[in-house]
This record gives sequence, C-alpha cells and structure tokens, in this order.
Amino acid sequence: MSASTFGSGIRRREDPRLITGSASYTDDIVLPGMLHAAMLRSPYAHARIESIDTAAAAAASGVVAVYTGTDTEGEIAPAPCAWLLPDSGLKIADYHCIAKDTVRYVGDIVAVVVAESRYEAYDALDLIEVDYDPLDAVVEPKQSAAEGAPQLHDEIEGNQAFHWTVTGGGDIGEAFENADVVVKETIVQQRLIPNAMETRAALASYTPATGELTLWNTTQNPHIVRFLCSLVAGVPEDRLRVIAPEVGGGFGSKIAVYPADFVTVFCSKKLGAPVKWAETRSENYQATTHGRDHVQEIELAATKDGKIVGLRATVWAGMGAYLSTAAPGIPTILHGLMLSGVYDIPAIHEDVYGLYTNTTPVEAYRGAGRPEATFMVERLVDLLAAEIGLDPVEVRRRNFIPKFDDGHDVVTGLTYDSGNYDGALAKLLDKAGYDQLRAEQAAAREQGRHIGLGLSTYVEICGLGPSQVAGAIGFQGGLWESAILRFHPSGKVHVMIGASPHGQGEETTFAQIVAGELGVSPDDVKVIHGDTDNTPMGWGTYGSRTTAVGGAALALAARKIRDKAKVIAAHLLEAAVEDMEYDDGKFFVKGSPDSSKTIQDIALMANVAWNMPEGVEAGLEATSFYDPPNFVFPYGAHLAVVEIDPETGHVTLVRYVAVDDCGPQINPVIVEGQVHGGIVQGIGQALWEEGVYDEDGQLLTGTMLDYALPRADRLPNIEVHSTVTPSPHHPLGVKGIGEAGTIASTAAVYNAVIDALQPFGVEGVNMPLTPERVWRSIQEAQGRN
Amino acid sequence: MDFKGRYNFDASPDRVFDAMTNPRTVAACLPGCDALEPLGDNRYQATMMIGVAAIKGRFKGTVELRDLERPVSYTLRVAGKGTVGFAKGQARIEIGESGSSSSVAVIAKAQVGGPVARVGQRLLAGTTKMVADKFFACLRQKVEGVPP
Repeated sequence: MSASTFGSGIRRREDPRLITGSASYTDDIVLPGMLHAAMLRSPYAHARIESIDTAAAAAASGVVAVYTGTDTEGEIAPAPCAWLLPDSGLKIADYHCIAKDTVRYVGDIVAVVVAESRYEAYDALDLIEVDYDPLDAVVEPKQSAAEGAPQLHDEIEGNQAFHWTVTGGGDIGEAFENADVVVKETIVQQRLIPNAMETRAALASYTPATGELTLWNTTQNPHIVRFLCSLVAGVPEDRLRVIAPEVGGGFGSKIAVYPADFVTVFCSKKLGAPVKWAETRSENYQATTHGRDHVQEIELAATKDGKIVGLRATVWAGMGAYLSTAAPGIPTILHGLMLSGVYDIPAIHEDVYGLYTNTTPVEAYRGAGRPEATFMVERLVDLLAAEIGLDPVEVRRRNFIPKFDDGHDVVTGLTYDSGNYDGALAKLLDKAGYDQLRAEQAAAREQGRHIGLGLSTYVEICGLGPSQVAGAIGFQGGLWESAILRFHPSGKVHVMIGASPHGQGEETTFAQIVAGELGVSPDDVKVIHGDTDNTPMGWGTYGSRTTAVGGAALALAARKIRDKAKVIAAHLLEAAVEDMEYDDGKFFVKGSPDSSKTIQDIALMANVAWNMPEGVEAGLEATSFYDPPNFVFPYGAHLAVVEIDPETGHVTLVRYVAVDDCGPQINPVIVEGQVHGGIVQGIGQALWEEGVYDEDGQLLTGTMLDYALPRADRLPNIEVHSTVTPSPHHPLGVKGIGEAGTIASTAAVYNAVIDALQPFGVEGVNMPLTPERVWRSIQEAQGRN
Repeated sequence: MDFKGRYNFDASPDRVFDAMTNPRTVAACLPGCDALEPLGDNRYQATMMIGVAAIKGRFKGTVELRDLERPVSYTLRVAGKGTVGFAKGQARIEIGESGSSSSVAVIAKAQVGGPVARVGQRLLAGTTKMVADKFFACLRQKVEGVPP
C-alpha cells in the first residue's frame, strides 16, 4: 500500500529529467529582448584602481552599457554578511558589488559589460583599460595575523574579522597541568574549491511599468535571496520574485548572495530589460566561495589509561578578502561547539581567529565547520592511542558518551538529542571484520607491505535549527520551515514548500512523507519548491536541514489534514469524531473497516463542499510552520583501509566501510546516495584536493586540470550500513544525512594513511596526502631516525 | 616565478653587451616582439605577443635598462599587461669573459597574474625557458655571424 512507500527505496522522481537533459537551469532560460552581462574581474590579489577607461568597450559592437563602481554607488549596497557573530569583535568590511578604489582578491569585480550577446560582452571586457597600482598581498591566515602583514581594510586592524572563543566544563589550564599525557599537532585544513556541476548564474528581469523584478538564480535559498536582494538592490519584497529553477549542486557555495547577482539586478533595473549573467568555469574557480582554509593548533590531555581530561585549540581561519553571507558562523558556531565529538570531554577551550586574506571569500562547504571539528577530535584520539599504546578502538570506547535516547549535555553548551556511539562502532567493526583486518595488516607488514586502518567516529549538528538559537548566535534570519499541503478535487496533492532542494532528491522524499502520513501514492503528490511567489517562506537548503526541518513542517501539515479529514469522514459516516479511526488513507468507524471513506473521497467532498459538517471550512488544505525545538545530531563510525607504496608514496584506498545513523530513513537509496557523495568529497580533501595561491595571491589551481577532484576510478566500492536511533524531538524521528559522509571521511582516510606509515615513524603530513607528500614524509622520517 | 640561465657566445663581452642593449637587435630577436619604441632614459615601449598553452595575447608595457656597466652587467625591468593578464619582472644580467668568448648569466624573477597565471601556470617555466633560448640563439647568430 501507499503508506508503506515511506521507508522504501523508490526511485528518485527527479532523475528522468536530470539524466535526459530536459531539466531547465538558469542559463537555459531565454527571455525576449534579453541582454547578457559579463564581469571584468581583477587579475590582482591586491591593488589600487588608479583609473578605468571604458570608452573603447562602450563603443564595441553589440555593447549596450558598461558600468563601474562609480555607477553602482548609492544604487546597490555592499553585499551583506548575514551572520553577525556575537561577542567576537566582529568587523565586517564593506564588500562593494563592484570594487570602488581597491581590489582585494583575484576575481573582485571591477566593471560589468552588458551586450546583446554573451560573446560580445566577453569580447568587450578585453577593451576596458584598468590602471592598477599593485599592493602587497597576504594569502595565508596565520601570516595575515602576523605583525607587519599587508593590511586589507583601512578600518580593520590586524586583518582580524573576529576572535571567537568557546570555553566549557572544568578549568582547561588545570586539566593540562595535571594530565599524565598530552598530545598535540598542527593541522592545515587546506582550502577547498567547491565544484558544482552547474556554475553560478543569474537572470534578472525588471519591468519598469510595474516596478516588479524576477530573479532566476542558482541558489540553495531563494527566500533568503529575495530578502537580501530587496535590502541591497532596493526592490520591495512584494515586487521581487526569486526563482531557483533546476539547481545543479551547491555544497554550500550557493548559499551566499553574491555581488554578481546584485550587479545583474542593477543592470536589469538600469536598462529596463532582462539581463543574464552566467559564470564560466574559470570564473567559478576564482569568484565562487571556497571552503575550509583553517590552521589548527590542537592538543589533548588525558590520563595514562586513556581517559580524556581536556581539549584545547587555537584556530586561524582564512575568511578571504570579505565576509561572505554566512561565513562567520562556519569556523565558530558550527565548528567549536562540536569539539566534544562523541566523547565525554570534561574541559574544552578553543580560540578562533577569523582573518581577512587576499583570497576568494570562504563560505560553508559540505559539512561546514563540522568536518574540521571532527578531524581535530578524531586525529587527537588517534594520537592519544599511539602515545599510550592502545588500539584506537579501545581509546574511543573508554571515552564514548554512553547510549542515551533523550538528551545529553556536552560542555560546549549543546544538548545532543540521541545516540549510541558504541553501537555504531560495534556494527562497523563487525561489518568490516576489524580484527581480521588488523591481523592482515600485521601479516602484510611482515612482507614489507604497508596497509593502514583509519577510524572516524563522528557526531554532527544539523537540522538547523531553533530560530531562538539562530537569533542568539547572530544568524540574521529564522531557521524554521513551512509547508502548504493542498488536495485537489480528484485527490491529487500539491505540496508547496519553502526549502529548496537542489539535487538531494527531496521531491521524492517529501512525496513519501505525504504518502506515509495520508496514504496517498507518492505519484499523486507534486512537490513545488524554489519559487518565492509560489511557495511559503523557507530559509533554504543547507546544514542538512531540508528533510529534518522542511520534512517536519510537511508532516505536521499532513497531520492537520488528517484531523480535518477525520471530522468530515465522521460527518459522512454519521458517526462521532471520537469513534473514527484512520489507517493508510482510510477513515472508518472503530470496528467497521469495511465501511470507510478514503482520503480521496474526502478531498472531493471538501472541494465541492456539498455536504460538510457544520462550522467546517471548505477545501482540504493545511499550512504548517515548524520551528525545531533543538538541532538533530546524526552520528556514525567509518573505517578506511589504505595501502601505501613507499617507493612512490601512492595511496590506494582499498576499502571504505561506513555505518551512519540518521534515524529512520524515509528513502534508504537516497540516504545511501547522500552518504556516497559525502564520503567521496571528504576523501577528496584527504587525498587530492587543494586550492593553492602563490604568495602574490594568484590562484594557481584555477582549472580542473590543476584542481584534483575525486574520480570514480580512484575509489573502492563504498560499503554503507546503518543503525537507527530516532531523534526524540522530531515528528518523524529523522535526522539529516546530506553532510555526514564528508564530516566523517576525511579523518578516517587521514588516520588510515598515518597508520600505514607508522613503521616509518612519520608524524604529521599536511593534506592532501599526495604521493609526493607521502614519499617526502617517509624520506624525512627515515632521515630523522 | 624564478628563472636562471647561462648562455655562451663566441664573441667579446663588448659585442654581446652592445647587442643585448640595442633595442633594434632585441626587438628582432625577442619572439613575438614587434618593436621597442624609445621613451628616453633607456626606457622603451614594447608590444609583445605572448602565448602560454591556450592563453595567447598581446602585452603592452615598458622595458627599462638600468645600472648599465658596459660590458659587465645591467638590470632589465619589464612591466606589461594585456587581455590575458599581466607580468612584471626584473632580470640581472652579468657578462663574464673567458678568452675570446663570453658567458651571459641571467637571474630573473617575475610576477605573473590573470588568466595566463591561472591557466598557464604549469607551463610558464617551460615557456619562459623556450622564449629565452630562442632569444639568445638569435642573438648569438647576430653577434657571431657578423664580423666586427
């Protein structure tokens, strides 16, 4: 029956249009009289603009207009930072949509050309003469904090965007002084460059006669875009419609509202014509937000039998030249509050310095702060295990938070919802055959082969989150979601939802939620999202919150429908409401299931309203707003098995086994897909990916030839398992799964490589663990010993 | 980006120095260079076609000869920009004598930005060496080929 499709791995309804090329992305949309914009971007990481001569470009064939920062001044406000981190001395530098007198990263917009065709617009860019006076640049966060470093913003001393701290539990100084064992390490969470298949794009269409503007935008959160765009570009929210059509991946890089979006809106308003801008891949590398870029100095204090007594860290987080929309919250709230991991840690202290550097602004990137936290904790636990000569499994078990199903407080101030961390680890060890693998590893070492096992036991915070908390942590928006569920006379359903999925398959899972709650077939449910004129307010898809928060809103709307339908059914069956029962789409009097009304019968009656109970409104429709009482905390245990060729330093990922617990799974196949993708992105950080700038701030990894993305032929079959621990506070018990894989896998792979290198005495190697780095680390260790 | 090179000539340092500092010879030998227009004070305006991998474009800029010590050494400063990026560099050139031949040592440092850096980075060192080799091969032909 239909209700049983909740929890089954039905096929994603999104896929036929995606794999047959019939989906319509922003750049596929063509409007009559549409013009094309191209952005002139700074080739310098830091320079003063002495003069700009646009005369030749303006006179070029097909060019309609050329605008510089002088033209946009007073017309569009600076691109806003919308996460005002409290108690951190946050200093936000103006991020002018078109640079006024100074450029601060390679990719900063200097001018825009609008032309009749995209080719003419790009050709005209070459005709703009900009006279730059180059200034010294700084690209590395710790160097940016150093005395004498080039300064990016006049009004911001020492390039410091913020200094945030988290302190929890007992006295951290005492914990370290009295500890038997202290292990420490410096970790570079290298800069990563998100590579969504669809690069960024915007199409703005302004109608002067009505003052209305429609913006098609490749975004993860159209309602936030509408809100911020109305503030920045001065189009009232009621006249501004934002549509996220098909969006080809985001991974966090499509959360921000970008200068180029606002500039496109400006051009359309100015010219009274539709204007489209679409990024090239090369432009994407330099102008779309990057991820990570932290330097972490971390240490762990413990007793000699492996009980953790304290964790202390100092982090320098590169923020790029300006603060992107949500940037300040990533290396702080989403990172520092998770430093207890799955362990009972009695004292935690972390300082995080956010620093401006002459680089592309950094934003959320899949996991956003949590992979960096998990990596720290999981690395330290392995260092502790090595130091005291215990198996990493045993050290973990001695520190795990014991099983809990209704709340556990950690010293950073969070209350985890539910977890059984040892349960996930036990299942992992069993599925992977851990003891056998250790035996094989020992045997291989005898033969001179270097196999390594790496564990990562993680918990993450997602399903963001209670709006009251959002306010307290300075997030300039709410974090609730809403849904409208509407039955048509024929029993078919429309769902209008504020969340904005862009590849995660929620058109399918949302339909399954409706099926589960109301017994309709998922095929009868159309899910409408991504259009601010046709959907209720929602705060977007990020932080693994779409199903966890949007799905809850939808389930609650369905339950309202069920309640109303029960009243109508009772009336039609001439029974008392209290005597009515519901089962899988049917309403009947207790004990007489044969005489029933289906949800479709009731939808028809409610819509024609010929015979309604007194005082009951016509129609079968419900709206629900869901503001979660707490975050959700998915968790799991991952194991990576690698083999290293010491002659070349090449790392082969031999096996990858994952156990994840995201609560009840609405669609296990979609869950598995999310886990796969997440794991691969985390492996990418461990082994291959790195965004590199030279010391002058030139991006050296500006193409897919230079930036090493994961490839299928380098990956083993990923073995995915799960346990199921419902969230006690969620209407469906579900947690999020979009980011879990990425949060876990970098540490697992890294730990495995270090484990394989153990016979050589290799200590720390910076990621990515390329053959060259691994080979050098072996040579250096051998030189030392 | 750093570049180091050494080129030997079967000619006296005086001859090599004169050829290397003669704008017409330089323009003729530098691949992609149309002309060096004098601006005075040993400064010249140059236009040059540069191609690194798929990135090709015309650079406009200035060339300046400084600290001229005939026939021992001088410094070359170059700054240019074009549609595919910008380049700025300085080269120290020292000419040594051994018997009747000369040896030219070049130590250069350059900053490159824009698409030419982003896309062509991996090939930049190779391209620089190729341009330098061609330049000195041409120069050698001129100083060795023509009798004094």
